[in-house]
Amino acid sequence: MSFKDVIDEEERDAYMLCNEAIVRAALEADVQLVSFYPGAPQTEILDNFEKASSKYDFKIEVAANEKVALETVAGAAMLGKRTLTSMKSVGTNVASDALYTLAYTGLNGGCLCLIADDPHAHSSQSEQDGRWFGLTAYLPMLEPSTPKEAMEMVKKGFELSEEFGTLVLIRTTTRVNHQSGIVPLGKIKRTPFEKVSWKEMKRPYTSVGELARKGKQDMLERMENIREKMAKSSLNRVEYFDGKELLDKGGDKEKFGIITAGVAHSYTVEALARLELPAKILKLGVINPMPEETIIDFCDGLDKVVVVEELSPYMEDVVRRSVKDTEIYGKRTGHFSEALEYDIPSVLNGLSEIADIEPPFDYKEYCKKMKKLAEILPQRLPVFCAGCPHRATFWALRQSVGDPDNVFFANDIGCYSMMCLPPVEWSDTLLCMGASMGVAAGVQYTAKEKTIAVVGDSTFFHAALPGIVNLVHNEDDVTIFVLDNAVTAMTGQQSHPGNEKKAGGREGKKLDIKAVLEGIGIEKIYDIYSYEVKDNVPMIKKALEHEGVSAVISHGECALYHFRNYRHAGGKLVPYYIDLDKCESVHACVLNFMCPAISVIPDEDGKARIHQDICVGCGVCSKLCPKGAIKSTATMHGGDNKPVVTVEDYEKYIEKKEAEE
Amino acid sequence: MKQTNIILCGIGGEGLVLLSNIIGEACRLAGENVISGEMHGLAQRSGSVIVHMRIGDEVLSPLIPPGEADMIVSLEVMEALRYLHYLKPGGTVITNRRLVHPPGETHDLVMGNVKKYVEYDEVLDAIKGADADVIEIKALSLAKKAGEVRAQNVVLAGALSNALEDKISRDSFLQAIRGMVPEKAVDDNVKAFELGEKA
Repeated sequence: MSFKDVIDEEERDAYMLCNEAIVRAALEADVQLVSFYPGAPQTEILDNFEKASSKYDFKIEVAANEKVALETVAGAAMLGKRTLTSMKSVGTNVASDALYTLAYTGLNGGCLCLIADDPHAHSSQSEQDGRWFGLTAYLPMLEPSTPKEAMEMVKKGFELSEEFGTLVLIRTTTRVNHQSGIVPLGKIKRTPFEKVSWKEMKRPYTSVGELARKGKQDMLERMENIREKMAKSSLNRVEYFDGKELLDKGGDKEKFGIITAGVAHSYTVEALARLELPAKILKLGVINPMPEETIIDFCDGLDKVVVVEELSPYMEDVVRRSVKDTEIYGKRTGHFSEALEYDIPSVLNGLSEIADIEPPFDYKEYCKKMKKLAEILPQRLPVFCAGCPHRATFWALRQSVGDPDNVFFANDIGCYSMMCLPPVEWSDTLLCMGASMGVAAGVQYTAKEKTIAVVGDSTFFHAALPGIVNLVHNEDDVTIFVLDNAVTAMTGQQSHPGNEKKAGGREGKKLDIKAVLEGIGIEKIYDIYSYEVKDNVPMIKKALEHEGVSAVISHGECALYHFRNYRHAGGKLVPYYIDLDKCESVHACVLNFMCPAISVIPDEDGKARIHQDICVGCGVCSKLCPKGAIKSTATMHGGDNKPVVTVEDYEKYIEKKEAEE
Repeated sequence: MKQTNIILCGIGGEGLVLLSNIIGEACRLAGENVISGEMHGLAQRSGSVIVHMRIGDEVLSPLIPPGEADMIVSLEVMEALRYLHYLKPGGTVITNRRLVHPPGETHDLVMGNVKKYVEYDEVLDAIKGADADVIEIKALSLAKKAGEVRAQNVVLAGALSNALEDKISRDSFLQAIRGMVPEKAVDDNVKAFELGEKA
């Protein structure tokens, strides 16, 4: 994967991440406007479009949320432009209000919405199955298995969207988005972005009452036409696995069949190879409308048909409904799970049981034996980075509340979600973007303890604002914390409305979170600076004592973002170190702090040490040490000429020195 | 089966994705089919990271089944052990001679939940206990020697290239490195690759 390949005009092969291939395909298809809210596993689509925007002429936005992103691409598609958005599974919940009605109104230009599901909940709060959006919203949906197919489907998706005047959905899963492979690149030939005349293509996109009833009829008719057209689509194909290799025809006498789609198709073929089991395979690329005639034809003459798909029995139930006289196997027969992602062993085990063949290898037993060897290992869970402002803010918050049981802590979605992971495990709720505020409203009525709600800056703009407005209007008793680290940190430091940059690094209008809170009518607002841990405790206590809505805005840029910019500006990282003569193994720098740069020295009675290659020099640990044993290496060598942590800190440092003199 | 399966693992932020991209691009240049399955997202936050690399005409899916990896290449020794169940019996583990204690382990140690830190030799013995060939690489000191402390990943690419020489030429690796690392770091990375080859 190399970004150079994404924007290179020429036709050739490239090794690419699927998310890059999707961007490449859209550029080849002359996409004119894109808008996204970041979220795994589809963030690299935004990231690559941002980078590509320095070379190619298209409009790009990092939207405040997925609903705005979808509405934005729909708006431009009403004027006939090819547009694209993508969103993580749960992002579609946010966008779905617009999505369902856009299916009624239809669109003019080619408009794609990619929904990236996350079976296994690797980086999501649920294993939500996005395929139901296609079915229930009456929108066509395509599902690729590989980066190469994703490229084809983006291009075909635009054509389909334009031909039928409808939004088209593309459904991926984590293992497709984050799969790299060799893809054939087409040529990039772009047309310059130009405004067009609305009055020349004007027609209403309105839906209510009588209009909605008419829109529904149009939509049903459109779906029928799409069903007819897609029935013969090459995106659905019959293959034959002869026990050794995958062929694109044959197996006329075969009695064993498999219907599959997405990455499950790849696991299926490889499982068959390990079982040396011949099977006819119907590989679906169009998953809405489901090609029922194709399915009936495929099953004709087969004794057993297995449906292999991750998550819900979405396809299986269609097959069961359409096909008589063939035994159908899948989740409903207990051979496959509705939970977790699949892999070769899970598909192989299901198939071997149905086909009644002994599996060639006991994966489970082998795993058990090998994992026994690994039992000595501690877990390695994600933690706040070295220098992360959240670590400092939560330390001060913890000090302020004393026992965590003294408060109800409604957490939200972002890096700070990691507070709920062991060994800290401090969060009472973690539901979805912005939910902390709504949950807090209910809790403050019912819990005797103080209610606190924590939200990040990006999530604040994304979905927390209505919840905060609600708290203020109802005069609820909640202390809210807005962790302002300048970027959408969790997904890779993208910009958001509170950042001075907009998509592609261009200058934008920075929204002031404090001004927003004041405007909403919160009277008690406390600004704290996350690294100033000791000073922050009394401020937080004051906020917590207030009856009514109070707010604490914790300022401190994402460490990855901040120290990268700092280094690019010529700054040098100056790590801290432990003065072993002073360290008395109090471990204030370890307990409830957990900085990846700090460990202890076993043979020095557990004295702390700071890893110089990890420490970025935020200096927070030095403020926690009651023995004064943690010092900047800048002072170690009398380094008056070295910057201390940041340029600003250095200036302060010099000022202080001068004042002392 | 004529496929080669390699697990790459380590800690978020160590350049595992770059390592997988170098291998993937080298495969493409050498005319080999290649598929990889990566995890992004939480990868920068000091968590455990794994990438599945699969080389060969008949590979289709992005995940290596347990017991089928020919090799594990690890930037940190605990992570090699954590994913050892992917290694086939008699497979090879190429590990960096380096152990990083997770912050949670330090926390548990200080709290008295565990008596002592897990040590490098203990982890290595566990790996050897699985009938694995182990190649230890001092990637940090070699990367420093090459002039680029962050090139531990490329040192390991060098060590891995020996095992793949039947499939992927040295030139393919070098060309991939030249195309993927920042221009000013090319010479140091090539040096890191060469030191890894000889290690």
